[in-house]
Amino acid sequence: MPYRWGMAVDADRCTGCEACVTACHAENNIPTVGPEQAARGRAMHWMRVERYVEGDFPDVRVKFRPVLCQQCDAAPCEAVCPTYASHHTEEGLNAQVYNRCIGTRYCGNACAYNVRFFNFFNPVWEKPLNLQLNPDVSVRGVGIMEKCTFCVQRIKAAKTVVKAEGRALRDGELQPACAQACPTSAIVFGDLNDPESRVSRLARSPRGSKLLEETGAEPKITYLAKLAWDESDAR
Amino acid sequence: MSPLDRRQFIKVTAVTGTAAALAACGNPEHQIIRFIPEDDLVPGVATWKPSYCPLCAAGCGVVARVMEGDAEVFRNGQAGVMRMALAKKLEGNPDDPVSRGKLCPRGQAAIQVTYHPDRVAEPLKRAGERGEARFVPIGWDEALAEVVAQLDALAAAGETAGLACVSRPRGPLRAALVARVLEGFGGRAPVAWEAMGDDVLRRANGVSFGSHAMPMVDLADSRYVMAFGADFLGTWHAPVTFGVGYGRMRQGRPGVRGKLVQVEPRMSTTGASADEWVAIRPGTDGVLALGLAHVMLAAGLRQASDAGRAGAAIAGWSEGLSEYTPARVEEITGVAAARVERLARELANHPPAAVLIGGPALAHTNGLFHALAVNALNALLGSVGQPGGLVVPPDVPAPASPAGLASLLEAAPTVLLLDEANPVFDAPPSWRVAERLRAIPFIVSFGSFIDETSAFADLILPDHSFLESWVDAPPAGSDSSPRVAGPVMRPLHRTRSMPDVLLDVSRRLARPLAGLPETFEAFVSAAAPATPASASGPSRARATADAPAAAAWAPPRFDGEAGEFPFHFLPYASQNFLDGSLAHLPWLQEMPDPLTSGMWSSWVEVNPRTAERLGIAQGDIVEVRSAHGVLRAPAVLLPSVGPDAVAMPVGQGHTEFTRYASGRGVNPLAILAPLTDEATGMPAWSATRVQITRAGSGDGSLILFAGATRERPDTHEGR
Amino acid sequence: MNRTLDRSLADDLVRPLFHTSVWFYGLALALGTVVASGLAAWGYQIWNGIGVTGKRWPVFWGFYITNFVFWIGISHAGTLISAILRLVNARWRRPVTRCAEVITVFALMIGAMFPLIHLGRPWLFFWMAPYPSSRDLWPNFRSPLVWDFFAINTYLLGSLLFLVLPMIPDFALVRDRSTGLRRRIYGALALGWQGTTKQWHRLEAAMQIMAIAILPVAVSVHTIVSFDFSMAPVPMWHSTIFGPYFVAGAIFSGIAALIVAMAVLRRALKLEAYLHPMHFENLGKLLLLMSLLWVYFVFAERLTVWYGNEHSEMSVFWTHQTGNYAPLFWTMVACNFLIPFPILALRKLRTIPGVVFASVTVLIGMWLERYLIVVPSLGHKALPYSWGTYGPEPIEIVIMASTFGAMALLYTLFARFVPIISIWEMKVGQHPHRHALPEEDEEAAGLWRVRP
Ligand SMILES: Nc1nc2c(c(=O)[nH]1)N[C@H]1C(S)=C(S)[C@@H](COP(=O)(O)OP(=O)(O)OC[C@H]3O[C@@H](n4cnc5c(=O)[nH]c(N)nc54)[C@H](O)[C@@H]3O)O[C@H]1N2
Ligand code: SF4
Ligand code: SF4
Ligand code: SF4
Ligand code: SF4
Ligand code: SF4
Repeated sequence: MPYRWGMAVDADRCTGCEACVTACHAENNIPTVGPEQAARGRAMHWMRVERYVEGDFPDVRVKFRPVLCQQCDAAPCEAVCPTYASHHTEEGLNAQVYNRCIGTRYCGNACAYNVRFFNFFNPVWEKPLNLQLNPDVSVRGVGIMEKCTFCVQRIKAAKTVVKAEGRALRDGELQPACAQACPTSAIVFGDLNDPESRVSRLARSPRGSKLLEETGAEPKITYLAKLAWDESDAR
Repeated sequence: MSPLDRRQFIKVTAVTGTAAALAACGNPEHQIIRFIPEDDLVPGVATWKPSYCPLCAAGCGVVARVMEGDAEVFRNGQAGVMRMALAKKLEGNPDDPVSRGKLCPRGQAAIQVTYHPDRVAEPLKRAGERGEARFVPIGWDEALAEVVAQLDALAAAGETAGLACVSRPRGPLRAALVARVLEGFGGRAPVAWEAMGDDVLRRANGVSFGSHAMPMVDLADSRYVMAFGADFLGTWHAPVTFGVGYGRMRQGRPGVRGKLVQVEPRMSTTGASADEWVAIRPGTDGVLALGLAHVMLAAGLRQASDAGRAGAAIAGWSEGLSEYTPARVEEITGVAAARVERLARELANHPPAAVLIGGPALAHTNGLFHALAVNALNALLGSVGQPGGLVVPPDVPAPASPAGLASLLEAAPTVLLLDEANPVFDAPPSWRVAERLRAIPFIVSFGSFIDETSAFADLILPDHSFLESWVDAPPAGSDSSPRVAGPVMRPLHRTRSMPDVLLDVSRRLARPLAGLPETFEAFVSAAAPATPASASGPSRARATADAPAAAAWAPPRFDGEAGEFPFHFLPYASQNFLDGSLAHLPWLQEMPDPLTSGMWSSWVEVNPRTAERLGIAQGDIVEVRSAHGVLRAPAVLLPSVGPDAVAMPVGQGHTEFTRYASGRGVNPLAILAPLTDEATGMPAWSATRVQITRAGSGDGSLILFAGATRERPDTHEGR
Repeated sequence: MNRTLDRSLADDLVRPLFHTSVWFYGLALALGTVVASGLAAWGYQIWNGIGVTGKRWPVFWGFYITNFVFWIGISHAGTLISAILRLVNARWRRPVTRCAEVITVFALMIGAMFPLIHLGRPWLFFWMAPYPSSRDLWPNFRSPLVWDFFAINTYLLGSLLFLVLPMIPDFALVRDRSTGLRRRIYGALALGWQGTTKQWHRLEAAMQIMAIAILPVAVSVHTIVSFDFSMAPVPMWHSTIFGPYFVAGAIFSGIAALIVAMAVLRRALKLEAYLHPMHFENLGKLLLLMSLLWVYFVFAERLTVWYGNEHSEMSVFWTHQTGNYAPLFWTMVACNFLIPFPILALRKLRTIPGVVFASVTVLIGMWLERYLIVVPSLGHKALPYSWGTYGPEPIEIVIMASTFGAMALLYTLFARFVPIISIWEMKVGQHPHRHALPEEDEEAAGLWRVRP
């Protein structure tokens, strides 16, 4: 059975620390755009940690929610792309073929989650910051869209290894950069086709729900709700 | 799935057309696409090498992904392109007890230290005025000869005590070696300087528990954790270890979920994750802690004697803390009496429980009192050293004398060695660091970057980055063996390892220093697990010195009279830059702040009610004035700070710190009052009061990633 | 009498082709400069990247798509109106049809440029087109942008035919009145028109077919343009009303553009004798109808959104109604309804200046409408953390201005080289008794027959 990659994000664990955000930059050659461009709304964070404030002082609560591409099974970003630059793979990934993208930015509109980012200019890595670039990930040029790939380069590497070793991939052996960095293990990645994988089990959790499920995009990331404490929890 | 939903319908109609046109069949989408990115990917083969993150005192164990690449380097006097092993990414080292395979965002960005475009690539000699940051390159031999000449002159004049060293807190082995070199020469003991350090807590721990180590909490087994001001999930002394534990405390135990209560006047990242957030008046934390203890004692939930030594350090402890009734606590702290009662019972009834205090809670004139109070509460709970409780690691050397840096500067050394500390930026203005540096005849910096302090240096002898050299990190938890790793890659630039340079200099002296190892590598390799503590000089006999009279509540003193300066000014270590030492890393500059989503900016957090009263809108420039200075920064309106306070992240406002940080934002430390914790002499950086006024509309300097603050914003919020 | 009248009519209408004033050169040069500055700006943008515009995350579409929709809307002036008028055989249409059809062709050409200007990598625009490539890669036929590609090209081709077919007899007329190179060029363009009965039959039949065929194409074009929006799950885009709403808006702005163009031509080419107040009044009535329809659509759209009370849609709704975009929104309502309605409804005010003024406000209002569709919705999608705003950069304004310049330039050139009023149709119109086929009347046919 082919893999079907999925993720669960546990809001009850997430502390909003943003290790995932920086890890994603480091893994995926995401450029920094600098203050002038950041001020003009061009910062690229494939992973962002949304923060919502509720209530007023002193009864303030804050919600953190890491948002990345939901790898939708009925992804509107794919339907609208005129060139198939945004398309679906057999393993359920929403893949982005950078070479094929002509920069209509239509996919960015169609994505209800606003997780697609556009290269408004050519990215700049002031030497020798370029030496840090991950050779497994293409550097995107001006005029194209990019977004979270579920660290497809790691998926490919892991599959190569298990194929060479003639064995099956073990649950948890393969982690995208954000999940690997996350101190609280709020991010769990794995194969949804394996009913016993951690991510499959979390996807069945009663705490789980999908973000903006009502748009019908069939997102593959399960968000586990943050719990409120009550006496019985700590027994 | 329904037999034919609408997207499929569109797919089918469209694709049928296509397929007909192409006379193709099978799964049309995969027919149409002949190349998918995964097939284009040929993952490279990497090796993984261990090291330690140098960016904060935790010293997380990392592994670096190393691959070949072409680097422009300088070798044997020649520039050229060399194929060499390059670190590509840092991950937490799963075998490391501190990082446990994870990293914080700063650790993820640490790799940019090595590849930073503004790294000092070769020795530099000052060419302009002190502080002007104009330098010219100089050869290593020439530079070392100059250092040697200065030290020989000191020795010849019999003034070896004129040699001093200030560093950022470093690994214990490195610190020990530096200390040995200075000791061998006859110089002053090196001083470690950290702007928002934890010396108050270390001292309190010495009193309460007989150990000066920073406490941990076994969160994974904890059922109830209360933290006073300690942003332990964001910026405190071991955020990764705490983060790992926190994840397990929440969801790691079937059926058990621990409660986190955060007590602080301004909501930190940790406060944002808490189950209950308790807003408290600044400088009164210890009173709440003792109030909780009072309730437990009064209700017979715990016995005063349970607290032992830690309890004895609090005045009135054995009498049941009669001065700390809930009513009195409410009066002082602003936390309702009923809530004090409830929290005390929850805390007592959910063992194992632990209480933490740190950061801004201790940056008051009565800081030590708060720390001792929380320690006593912990001891009373009976969870110190228990699973799920407070972990107090074995003793480490006591922090240097109160404000060691201040007294060092006052002593006007003749030769000053600077190892990445940046006091010109982050020491209290009242210490007049810049002025004093100007008076020092010879300053050598080992910094990798020109910052406000190394701008005063006569020579910069750039150190290797941590990935290019032997590194060590403090022992973790109860294991006292040092954590050591070798270089991950060869140096990119004409830099030299700082300890090796010191050893080299000591060999070149007219009277070479004896008994030193050949290299830092040799020193590190030889270091037996027990060595680091002893190598740090005398440290075992200070138990008496640490035991002051039993601590009693004294109201905090604030600088600035409440009428003229109505707001508490609450600087906080930023999630991105800590105390500002990381503002040069572009990934951290562009990482949205967890609460405000600010990037590349400074801001003042103002309560929306205050803002409305003062006519301040989001992004407006506000003037923040203390009795000691004034600054201007854009306002961010957030209900997570009280109406009687304003908060500001520390870290921006560098005048000289690489292209990414220089001239960006403002430094809140610059307007702080010269108050200190009265018992320890550490800066009381939360004790300044300010007034704020609207100074104009936004100037575009506030860069936010987020459009709105609330999930259901009202009509006009957002942009 | 008819014969002399015909002759003077022909004289009047071909005069601009033979007598070029200094004004023409001055105007062409000025407009050419405007167009060139737009092209230079586009070159600058291609060289540097879309970042030189004001577009940003998450408002990925801005001025260019606004202008795209606006110009495609304008294009509905011509062909659609002229086809309807032809089919219902409205006599007053005769002087109007050609200037209307020209607007369609030029507006489409300009409008179709905008998606290209808007592309991040415009040099690869042809990947949107189906062509056999070595990789067997075809465009994604599920994408509304590919539908656009077909719809616009079909409409452009159709409109071009619709415009050019009835120009053939006029080309022949010009050919016959000129000598030398001009004669040869117009001769080629006249495609050997001799005015034979068979040719007239063929022309008339072709026009009839085109008029019928172009109608559904025109309706579909703006419906498909509306699909660019309504297919995406974006608040206040994702609405079934968008097809008719866009078509109505397009016809609305198209008529306004036609009225303005006619007024300018009337003045500039001294065509008062041919473009009568009656023409403006009739078009004004059409405009009034469309204004009412437009208001109805806006109301219906908003009522359902408000009643449904879905939070992300409401955030867009309120930002229109009372929020940051309220000034633009209410200006739009004023321009599209509050101002034109009384002018067009009251016979006293429905004069040429009145109708032209109303048309100008409608053009402004309809441009704002497109802007208000594109921008606020993208800035207020479902996750408020990712909200954002957009404002144009100078380069976008330069490029937009240059397209207005381009429209004026193309129109000026067209009027310089082609009779802007269909001469033969006018002549037919002046012989009401032979309105069916010109050659039914020998005399009339003789007028047209070319002397060897
Ligand atoms: N270590 C090592 N390195 C070497 C060599 C060596 O012996 N050892 N040999 C060197 C030599 S001689 C050579 S020629 C190079 C070869 O280097 P590459 O050209 O990189 O060779 P491949 O890995 O064979 O092919 C590259 C990719 O092309 C894809 N591919 C296959 N067919 C098609 C197609 O029709 N279209 C597209 N777009 N892609 C396709 C494959 O999936 C594969 O991922 O390597 C050189 N590098
Ligand atoms: S989250 Fe957005 S980008 Fe990702 S697959 Fe879904 S629609 Fe596409
Ligand atoms: S921007 Fe690129 S990926 Fe997105 S729809 Fe356009 S061509 Fe496709
Ligand atoms: S899965 Fe990979 S690409 Fe996606 S957010 Fe995480 S680190 Fe980034
Ligand atoms: S790294 Fe983990 S805990 Fe931190 S913000 Fe990301 S998901 Fe949340
Ligand atoms: S906590 Fe973060 S900054 Fe500190 S050592 Fe660990 S990874 Fe580095």
